[in-house]
Order: sequence, then C-alpha cells, then structure tokens
Amino acid sequence: MNPGDRVRVDHPDGHEEGTLMPSTTADHLVVKLAGGYNVGVARADADVEVVERAAREVDATEAPEEGAATSVEFDDDLPTVTLVSTGGTIASTVDYRTGAVTARFDAEDVLRAVPELAGRANYRGRVVANILSENMKPAVWQTLAETVYEEVAGGADGIVVMHGTDTMAHSATAMSLMLDVPVPIVFTGSQRSADRPSSDNVMNAVCAVEAATADHAETLVCMHAGLSDDSCALHRGTRVRKNHTSRRDAFETVGARPLGSVNYETGAVTFRRDHTPRGDDDPAVHPALETDVALFKFAPGTGVEALNRLAGHAGVVIEGTGLGHVSTELIPRVEELVESGTVVAMTSQCLEGRVCDRVYDTGRDLLDAGVVEAGDTLPSAAYVKLMWVLANADDPRTAMQRDLANELQARSVPWT
Amino acid sequence: MNADADADALDYDALGLVAGLEIHQQLDTATKLFCACPTDRRDPEEATTQFTRYLHPTRSELGEIDDAAVEESRVNREFEYLAYDTTCLVEADEEPPGRLDEEALEVGMEIAALLDAAVVDQLHLMRKIVVDGSNTTGFQRSALLARDGEIETEYGTVGVEDLMLEEESAARIEETEAGVCYGLDRLGVPLVEIGTRPDISSPAEARAAAARIGMLLRSTGTVKRGLGTIRQDVNVSIAEGARVEVKGVQDLEGIEQIVRNEALRQDALVDIAETLRERNAGVSDPVDVNDVFAETDSGVIGRTLATGGEVLAVRLGGFHGLVGQEVQPDRRLGTEFADHAKRHGAGGIFHTDELPAYGVTEAEVVALCEAVDAGERDAVVLVADDPKTAKQAIEAVATRAETAIEGVPEETRGANDDGTTRYLRPLPGAARMYPETDVPPVAPDPSEVATPELLTDRADRYADELGLDTGLAEQVAFSPRMPLFESVVENGVDPTLAASTLESTLTELRRDDVAVGALTDTHLVESLELVDDGEVPREGLDDLLRMLAADPDLTAAAAVEAANLGGVTGEEVRKEVRTVVERNEAQVREEGMDAFSALMGECMGVLRGNADGDTVSQILREEIGRLSD
Repeated sequence: MNPGDRVRVDHPDGHEEGTLMPSTTADHLVVKLAGGYNVGVARADADVEVVERAAREVDATEAPEEGAATSVEFDDDLPTVTLVSTGGTIASTVDYRTGAVTARFDAEDVLRAVPELAGRANYRGRVVANILSENMKPAVWQTLAETVYEEVAGGADGIVVMHGTDTMAHSATAMSLMLDVPVPIVFTGSQRSADRPSSDNVMNAVCAVEAATADHAETLVCMHAGLSDDSCALHRGTRVRKNHTSRRDAFETVGARPLGSVNYETGAVTFRRDHTPRGDDDPAVHPALETDVALFKFAPGTGVEALNRLAGHAGVVIEGTGLGHVSTELIPRVEELVESGTVVAMTSQCLEGRVCDRVYDTGRDLLDAGVVEAGDTLPSAAYVKLMWVLANADDPRTAMQRDLANELQARSVPWT
Repeated sequence: MNADADADALDYDALGLVAGLEIHQQLDTATKLFCACPTDRRDPEEATTQFTRYLHPTRSELGEIDDAAVEESRVNREFEYLAYDTTCLVEADEEPPGRLDEEALEVGMEIAALLDAAVVDQLHLMRKIVVDGSNTTGFQRSALLARDGEIETEYGTVGVEDLMLEEESAARIEETEAGVCYGLDRLGVPLVEIGTRPDISSPAEARAAAARIGMLLRSTGTVKRGLGTIRQDVNVSIAEGARVEVKGVQDLEGIEQIVRNEALRQDALVDIAETLRERNAGVSDPVDVNDVFAETDSGVIGRTLATGGEVLAVRLGGFHGLVGQEVQPDRRLGTEFADHAKRHGAGGIFHTDELPAYGVTEAEVVALCEAVDAGERDAVVLVADDPKTAKQAIEAVATRAETAIEGVPEETRGANDDGTTRYLRPLPGAARMYPETDVPPVAPDPSEVATPELLTDRADRYADELGLDTGLAEQVAFSPRMPLFESVVENGVDPTLAASTLESTLTELRRDDVAVGALTDTHLVESLELVDDGEVPREGLDDLLRMLAADPDLTAAAAVEAANLGGVTGEEVRKEVRTVVERNEAQVREEGMDAFSALMGECMGVLRGNADGDTVSQILREEIGRLSD
C-alpha cells in the first residue's frame, strides 16, 4: 500500500475508509476521511485493505529544476522585473511527508500563487537555489550575484529576490557589496508560509515589485512595516536585521528609520532620505569572497580556548560587549591572532550604536592589539563585508573602517 | 406558534425527512487551545491594539480549492482585528501555535465518554479553510477526536458520527466600510463540535436530541454557559431534496421550527422544479436593458443609471408566476434569487412576478419583456447596480434559476430570527481541509479520564441523598452554580438553604434589579456559612446579599457588622415582642391565640429581619399565652 491508495482500515474501535496519507510517525497510519479530516490509526492493531490503488495524487507538485528560466506574456508599456527565487517561505508549500515547509516554486508558480502581481510588470523568472535560508552559503551568494548581473545586463529594469527570511540580511549585504547595478534589487520573503490564506507573501511580493520598478538603484529588503496589511517598509540591505522570530514586521533598520515604504493599496513608493537614483551605467559584478571568516561572540566566561580555535582564519569579526570589548584575559590572544595575519574587526552585540575602543582601557588595549573598529556596522554585515574586502580590497583593515555600501554610517542620526 | 397544527400539515415520513445536528460548544478551560491566554470575553472598548488584514484562498495538500472559499474570496474584503491585553501574538497570527491544551483534550475525552464515542488513536490537527476573516490565519484548527457514539432520546437512538476538538473563531463586532471588524478575545477558545448521524426524522426529535446533547455537555461542568457559547447547526433534507446545512440556530425551540420550515421549503422547491420541467423551462444569458429605463421614475434604477451603473436582466423561460411563489413563510423563490444577488454586493432584485411596482411602470415592463424576448410564460429578473456588481449579481441569479429547474440545491443557509433561512454560501467540501503542520499529532489516553456524572443523575442524587425537593434538585443540578452548591454543602451548609438561596433567592433579587452579577462566589459562600452558623438569621440573608451586591468590596462579615444584621439576643427579642403584645393587650385578651398572625407580622416588622422567625414565633406564643391565661 502507498500514499494515495484508497484503503479500508479495520481496528478494535471500528473501521475507517479513506485515502492513505504519508505517515508522520512510525507507529501510526494516517487516513484522510471523506470529510477531509486526517486521523492516525495505531499500526499494531490495524488491518488494512487496499480498495483502490493510487486513487488520488498526494504529491503532485514537482520541484523546478535549478537554473531553469521561465517567462510569461510581455507588455511593452510595462517595466521588466526579474523574479529570482532562492527558496524560502514565500516560495514554499508544505511537504506532507515530513510535515515541514519546503520551497518548491519557480517564478511562474509565484505568479500563479500571487495573481495580484499581474499587470505591474513583465516578469522573467530565474531559480538560483531551492533552499531555506538557514542553508544559504557564500557560494550561493556568488551565483545569485552573477544571475542578477546577467539579468540587469540583459535589460531587467529591476530585480526581486525571493529569499528565506532567516539570513536574508546577509544575502542583501552580499549583493550590496558584490553588485554595482543602476537598477533596484529588492529582497522579499514571508513570515507566514504561502500555503495559508493569511500569508504575508502576497503583500510583500506586490510591494517588492513596486519597489523594484521605482526610481532608485538601492539594494533593499521589502517586508511588512507593521501588524497590518497596509504597507511594507524598505530597509537598506546592509542596515537591516531580522529582530523577531515570527512577526510579519520582524525586519527593522538598525540605527535609523527605514529608508522608505510602499503603500499596498496605491503601490506608491516613498523615500524618507536621500537614495541613489536609477542610472544607465553598465552593471558590474565583483563576486570574489574569502570565505575563511569567523564570527565570534564574546560572553562572560568565554575563555582563551575559544579564541584558540580561530587561529589561522583569514578574518574574524568579534561581536563584543558594549562599546566593543572582550575580557582583558583574551587580549594577548587577540594580539597573537592579529600578528599571525588574521584581520580582526570589532562590532558590538548592542547592535544599536557605534563601537568606540578609545573610551576604556580594555578598548585601548584591543586597539593596541591591532583590532580594527567596524564603526556601527552590524555584526552580520561586518561578517559578509570582511569576506568581501579580504578578496577585493587592497587594504582590508582600512576597508573595514570605511563605508562601502551604506553599511557603516558616517553620522549617528537614528531619528532620520 | 401553533406547532401541532404545522406538524399535522406535514407528513415527515412521507416527505422522507432526514436531519442531523452539529452542536458547537465552547469549553470553559483556563487557557485557550493553542496558547496560554485566558478564555475570557472582552468589551471592544477595552482593545489595546488594532490591525487590518486580507485573506487569499489556497490549495489543499491534494491541490484542490474549496468552492466556498473561492466564493468568499471574490468579495475582496479588508478585515479589522481588535487585540486585548488578554490576547497574544498567536491569535494575531504572528506566532506559531503552541501545543494542544491538555485540559481541553481531557474535557473533550469526557465528552467522548458521555457520547459513548471511541477516541482516535492519534489526533491530527487540520486547517479548515475559512476566509471570511473570522480566523486571522484564514483557517480554523480542528481535529477529529472521537467517532461512532450514540445518544438516547424519547424518540429512539441517534448516532453520533464524530466529535471534533477545535478552536473558536473570532467574534464579529461590526461591519465596517471596507469589510468586517472582529475581536480576538474569542479566537482560540476551545470548542467541541458534535455531529450526529442523519438519524433524526422529525422536528421534535431534532429538538430532543439537541436537548440531550446539551445536558451531556453541561454534565462535564467545564463548558461555557450563556448567550452564544453553544451553537446549533442543522442538516436537513427530504427524499427528493438535497442536503442543506442551516447555521446558527439560536435555541431548542428554533431547531424545531427550522427543521419544519426547511422541510417545507424543499417540498415547495421540488414542486416548483416539477412544474418548470413540465414547462420545459430554461434560462437565457443576461443582457443589459439600460435603454428600457432611460426615462424611468424608479428611484433605485434611475439613481443607478445616473451614476454610471447598469441595469442587467435575465429571461427565465417558463418561470412566470413561480418567482413570486412562496417557499417558506413570507419568502418566495424570488427571495432566494435575491439572496444570491446580495451575496455579490447587489442591494436586491426586481422580478416581473411583482412588477409593475417600485416606480417601474406597466409600459416599462412591456418594453423590458420585449427587450429580452420574454413571453407570457416567462419571468424576467433585473439587477441595477455598478457594472461589476450588477454583472456578478445577475449571473448569480441566472445560476440559481438554472438550479431551480433541477430541484433543491445543496448549500449552507443561515437561520433567520423568524425560523426561516437565507442562502449563505455553497456547502464546504473536503477540499477545505489540510494538515496543520505547526502542531504535531497527539496520541490521547482516554483511560485516564473518568465519565462525568450526568446532570439528570445528579438531580436524582440531590433529591434522594440531600433531601431537596425534585424541582429544586433539578434546578440546582443544571445550574451554572452547581459546583458552588457542591462546595458549600460539603462545608456543612444545609442543602436546602444552599439550593434555594443560589437558585430562588438570587433569581428574585435579580428580578428586583439587584446587581446579582457583582456577587462573587466568596460572597455567597461566606453569607451562607454565616446563616448556617446562626450568625445571621435566615431572614437577614436577603438584605446581606443586597448590601454585598451594592458594595462588592465588602466581605460578608463586614457587611453584617456595618448594617447590624447580626441576630439580636433572645432577651432583646422578648423585650420587643412583649412591647408589641402589651400595645395590643385588648386584642390578645379578646382573641387569645387567634391574634397570633396579626402580631407576628408586627413583631417581624419591628425586628426588621434581625431575628429568626422561628424564635420570634416561639416567644410570641409564650407571651400571648402568658397574657391570655
């Protein structure tokens, strides 16, 4: 017997007739009854008879092939937006075998799933990956950057990247650094899977397309601004952080208010501060990365042995306490690390605010040990940036202290 | 209402009436089904946060989309939600649900035991798609907990098909301009749904079965009481009719009326269908008839055309006279068409069985019939509205008219206050269910659960063991205050005193506009114990409860102190009684003990409830005896 078979299951309390579903546990058979309810029957006491084989398709959706390109009807009056899918909740359905949510949509499926996107742009679809964002790797950032570059070079007026939310900020930072394109790159995703009527995927996708057709050349994250389905906030990819495990408005710009917003009803895109306008320069891509970088978070009691494990890395980003500190006993080891050739950059686990290692003795000692301050760069952004500068900058130490893609703000003006 | 006359008029056996019940009962658990929020109802004014959402229908795991969900979603509405300090991110659909509430599962298994139903080996939470906004998620979480039970009524056995444990939906607060406003306080309250088999064959049997299930549910002591905490849906069909689900029947009497009227309706629709088939009836494509009404005096049509709207008409071949035919008391086939038009946003319809009227002239009717090529045997239905609404509405009418030729449509209907029903939506199908993957399956253990004592058995026990009279025993056993009664009696309070106070006294006080609702259980327990201990005379209990209701911050003891409700001593009673007897000396000497009744009233008045009646009576007899000897 297989999932999809019509079965009759006799058990001590009576019998059930229905469609056999994939089991979620080893001890129970799962039967979908005529009314739509699933019920688990203990295998040990069950007597199963197959009434009809393969009566229903229970696993109909096929995963798209990676790299596959699709496109839908073309309208000359509309801008062209490339939807790049990397997987994640916005492009996911439930895997009824494991019960988990998995990504299995390509761009065409997104159009089918979000009919509200129709008429806003011509769409091209690219599938770069089909992974949940916790499985994202620097190598995929490189493929993503190459894909975006190709699409922009090929005439796309804007790019929407459908991405899992967990590490969306990292990918957005990577694109901010790797790409130099004259059109918008807008990341979006969803905090409620696309298989539920309340999914935020519809509004996020619609607003992301509006943002991708607006007049700017920023790399942004476009997600719910609040609890309501009324507007999306536009966050700079290098300044954004996922600050809640489950809320729709989990994404926040750290150290400033969001750069702009999109009104869901009107589609109007507004900016709160200066932003780079669209241009017509040729796009460029710089995808090289030195991936031998570690992120080290200091906590009270963290011992020297934890630092020893970092020996030999090309780069280390420390997420220190307060203004950018680790305990005094670690400093000699940090100094050895720097002397061995590792670039060590300091960020703060406060997240809000700028590191300043000139205020306390510990800080001054860290500077003497050769640590470079990453200013108000977020730890996640500094991690990606260090990978990039190690492969692209002549002087990575200096680059970590300078703003490259709005990741390091010159002025602390959180009210703007 | 003349139920018997109606019952005589319809022969339910001959019609082949088949009915089943779906009873929804909220559970009175400490927390909600999937979060730790309390199950308390709130006033919309107390809301702390408000937000708005849209919902979009989705496919089931088998790739199907539910008809009811699709129809609902055509009406693109914005839903507003009110959140409270007693609701959390789970109700707001901003946090995944927690694990299934254990107390709710236990109460569910008690109910399964009372229904003699078998609990499933493994409970699978399902998402039942509901996109009318009443669930922030767009689905209701529901699980099959038990099946194959039965209940007994005076009319025989009714099978129980299934028992579901599910979450209550959000409470509809009001219609807003953009959609509907809901409160999150009710969302997630545990709910059981009991579905009977279609074993019911008369309205009276439906009522008896509902009453029986209601009693079983209350026997757990853990169900919510009061308006809206139990809802009854009825499935009705007759032999030549179709399954119709009627939602939201208010009370037991309503059940009987709804079943009767639905049987009537289906019978009438079957007759209409037969006539239509004899007439070879057919429905044409809708057309626009704006020109016919270019100069109209009809307010509705004129305004519609003046504001860019359209008048669309459909010819119903062979329908003449039938659109105006009654199918339920004061509801015609035309009313059914209008229900469908309204569902798509139209204000209503006009049809030729009722025209000329409403400002539409005879000449316009003639021109209309010409325009759609309708003859004497035909009827024409009109909708006037903005172009999109008018189109959807007239198509909905045409579809319903086509169904009328076939017979009775399967559908979900809503109960009206007058016992009739109105169209709500298509019947939901199995396609609206898919697994709730956020909550792992649960293997319940019914062996840990004891079957609660039935309220009827409890009433018998109160009469037999506690000496309550039968009426009072039943009243207190079925009362929401039953657990309180149990606890005070356990603490030694006289059962009759406790029962009559909790039932009769409180009811009398409420009728006297005393704010009985302000009395806490503690007030009642303390007051009863003070009386039982002789600290307060029985006659003083009324005043004590009045005081506590007026000032709920007081304790019973403090109220007694403040109002000097404490019993006066025997000495003081004798002094007052003697004064009364002496004042009436002449009467006592003349009438002897016959003066007792008159003087008793006077004594009690003087003592103002501060003395026990038995004591006063005894002393008065002594004093009268002393004087008349």
